[in-house]
Amino acid sequence: MAESVVEIVKKHLTREVLCAFVLFLGISGCDSPPPKFAPNRLFIERMARGEGADLEVAAPDIAQALEDWFGTPDQPKWPQILQTEEFAGLVDVDRLGRAAGQVRSDENDVHYGLYREHCVNCHSQEGNGRGPTSVFLNPYPRDFRPGIYKFKATAIGRKPTRADLRRTLVNGIVGTSMPSFQLLKSDDIEALLDYLVYLSVRGEVERALIAEAAFELDAGDRFYAPELSDRDPDRFAEQREVIEDVILEVAGDWQDSFVEETVAPEPPEGVPAFAVDSSGRIEDAALRASIDRGREIYLGEVANCASCHGKTGVGDGPTKDYDFWTKEWTTSLGLDPADRDAIEPLLDLGALKPRVISPRDLRAGIYRGGGQPSDIYSRIVNGIEGSPMPAVAMQPDNPRGLTELEVWDLVNYVLSLPHEQLELLSGASE
Amino acid sequence: MNESPKVPRYSKALHRLAVVLTIAVFPLIWVGGLVTTYDAGMAVPDWPGTYGWNMFAYPATTWLFGPFDLLVEHSHRLLGALAGFLCIGLVIIAWRVEYRRWFQFWTVALLAAVIIQGGLGGARVVLDERTIAMIHGCTGPLFFAMATATAVMSSRWWIELGQESRRETESTPRPINSKLVVLATLLAIAAYMQLIVGAQLRHLTGAVAPKLFTAFVHSHLTLAGLVLLLAVIVAALSWLGRFVPASVYRPSGLLALLVLVQIALGLGTWVVNYAVPWEAINQQIAHYTILAKGFWESLIVTAHVATGSLIISLSVVIALRTWRFASVGTSQAQNKDAIHAAASQA
Ligand code: HEC
Ligand code: HEC
Repeated sequence: MAESVVEIVKKHLTREVLCAFVLFLGISGCDSPPPKFAPNRLFIERMARGEGADLEVAAPDIAQALEDWFGTPDQPKWPQILQTEEFAGLVDVDRLGRAAGQVRSDENDVHYGLYREHCVNCHSQEGNGRGPTSVFLNPYPRDFRPGIYKFKATAIGRKPTRADLRRTLVNGIVGTSMPSFQLLKSDDIEALLDYLVYLSVRGEVERALIAEAAFELDAGDRFYAPELSDRDPDRFAEQREVIEDVILEVAGDWQDSFVEETVAPEPPEGVPAFAVDSSGRIEDAALRASIDRGREIYLGEVANCASCHGKTGVGDGPTKDYDFWTKEWTTSLGLDPADRDAIEPLLDLGALKPRVISPRDLRAGIYRGGGQPSDIYSRIVNGIEGSPMPAVAMQPDNPRGLTELEVWDLVNYVLSLPHEQLELLSGASE
Repeated sequence: MNESPKVPRYSKALHRLAVVLTIAVFPLIWVGGLVTTYDAGMAVPDWPGTYGWNMFAYPATTWLFGPFDLLVEHSHRLLGALAGFLCIGLVIIAWRVEYRRWFQFWTVALLAAVIIQGGLGGARVVLDERTIAMIHGCTGPLFFAMATATAVMSSRWWIELGQESRRETESTPRPINSKLVVLATLLAIAAYMQLIVGAQLRHLTGAVAPKLFTAFVHSHLTLAGLVLLLAVIVAALSWLGRFVPASVYRPSGLLALLVLVQIALGLGTWVVNYAVPWEAINQQIAHYTILAKGFWESLIVTAHVATGSLIISLSVVIALRTWRFASVGTSQAQNKDAIHAAASQA
């Protein structure tokens, strides 16, 4: 009986009936159009201003090209030219599809729409770091489109490795709003990583195409005109080639680091690993000596950490700097980030209000990129890309630079800073 | 008193059923909150069936021991169905024992409300529309408030208070402070508006502009202040005022406490979702990293949602009781006037 009632209800409760019901209740939004990626208007304006280019005609062409090669938020595409052996390990097309689209899950606990479920409120659909909540977050969420990441084991200018981004996703970023996703299944994490690469590559291609148009195109010229495919196949093929070259170049950069197996750097023989005893004291004499050497390096000319992090490490250096994501559309255009009127039009195009980036208080003991000695080592020798923190000069590339051993001493000093006060206090009471 | 059909009569069965319904709706709200917290709205893709099964026949093993999201979503549907059956029972009993015509129609309205609410839930799934999820989340607490009102209006207290006023015309009328009536009503309205704004914050999609989100945050904070203010004033007026019955001042005190708890939960909800907007403070909150879908995170967020509903229902209880006292007080006063008038005419 109940069965048949359910059957009858089921038969008549079609999409249309429910739509009518919802409309009857005065709710609109029954058939909202499928979402599209918004163009990077800020970068278009930046290139237009910086290069004096007129991108009026090129901008919609670029949007069309992106849609043709990369699809939409519901139906992402991974360009055919990247689905080759050469680019294996960047993005798995099935996983990409699973990470995209609407949120749902099935009886086997397979989850779909992962990006929209877990990331979109902060990082936004485009991955531009300007999700609805972004203005309240400090630091702001990452804009994935320039393809620049802070916490990675690769040198400045290089892409992160898969392990780098995986660590960020699994551990989160302590002391910020970036959550840890360690409760997700590892396959979901991998799908999100694929989607991250997808958004980054897509965003970088978009930027490169905008730059290409700004540098190479005369005002009013078409950048990409699919209607030429019949009329002027040669011209169309040329346009396609320009675009595909850019895609290959961007993906090549990712391929160079992303799939790399990195081994966490380990202190060489003779450098004691950092450790405190249960009362928070550092007893080991060799370690204390290493920390003392580290302090000298910290204060010294070459590393010059104190110039930003302050002599005592509380981050009170005199810098009043901004990060890459801000400088790109302010100082690099000759605008003062603190000049409200000058930046106002750019804020309207999707820029986030500039915030001064302060050097970290090293006594807080908060390491966003991970607190293992190997993580700190990576931060020091690679810098923190996108932030003002530079990579330290190293031998042999720079004869005046630090040796590997010296960096490990510095690591020990940095790790000892949160414990130092405690130690002084307990030392005084003895 | 003879059993004239004009005189409302207290029915134990009716009142008990209304109370059972109210109690049953609270977990329904909780689990509904969990559906959103875990983003499990589409863990069952069809409706009214569950993966092609009649929802009541869906294998318990998959329901209970299958994916967590499925457990949450399917439980929500079963609890919803339970609320529906209880409403049907209420209508039947009301039409058999109740003498108040309006109350009979009220139970029909209650049944209609639960059907609409179920339909909205179904539409959210079949059309896969998050906007509908948001609306479904706003109408749920409204239904909870309606169920609560049913319990209040079917209680012995409610009915006999009215009868006393007819019988004991000689007793001193005690009209309740009319300010209290107005403020208690405003409190219920403000609490509901607050919930609607909260639902906007909660049912975020990537399509919401940061400016809009900011506007909602500011409204939510402002309304929180207003609700707190009203709750404190209502509590103060009922505790300090003369002639305010225990059935009003007790829940008023509880409500003020609940609002404080709710504000704490609200701040907690923000922190476990977005950390603190001040970087320096984030550094100081020891070594906390937000754990996405973590147990405590989800508990705090969902408790904030459920407490919001509870506040609305409790403020409805208070508002209804003050109304009742006010109307009885007035009718007593009118009676007294009539007696005086009759006496002076004689
Ligand atoms: C509650 C907001 C929030 C959510 C949700 C969120 N993030 Fe983030 N994310 C941030 C913030 C804030 C930062 C910047 C932290 C910093 O700069 O130190 C960030 C940074 C990042 C970074 C950059 C790390 C680096 O080395 O530069 C990646 C990658 C990232 N998030 C990926 C994700 C992914 C993938 C998801 C979804 C699974 C996600 N985030 C969800 C707020 C969020
Ligand atoms: C030009 C200024 C500058 C200099 C010089 C500098 N830093 Fe930094 N440092 C920063 C800033 C800014 C941050 C915060 C970056 C962020 O989180 O976005 C930072 C962050 C850090 C962190 C935290 C990393 C993490 O995982 O959260 C450590 C550790 C650190 N610096 C150590 C050093 C050491 C050691 C030196 C010297 C070799 C040094 N810094 C030199 C500006 C500087």
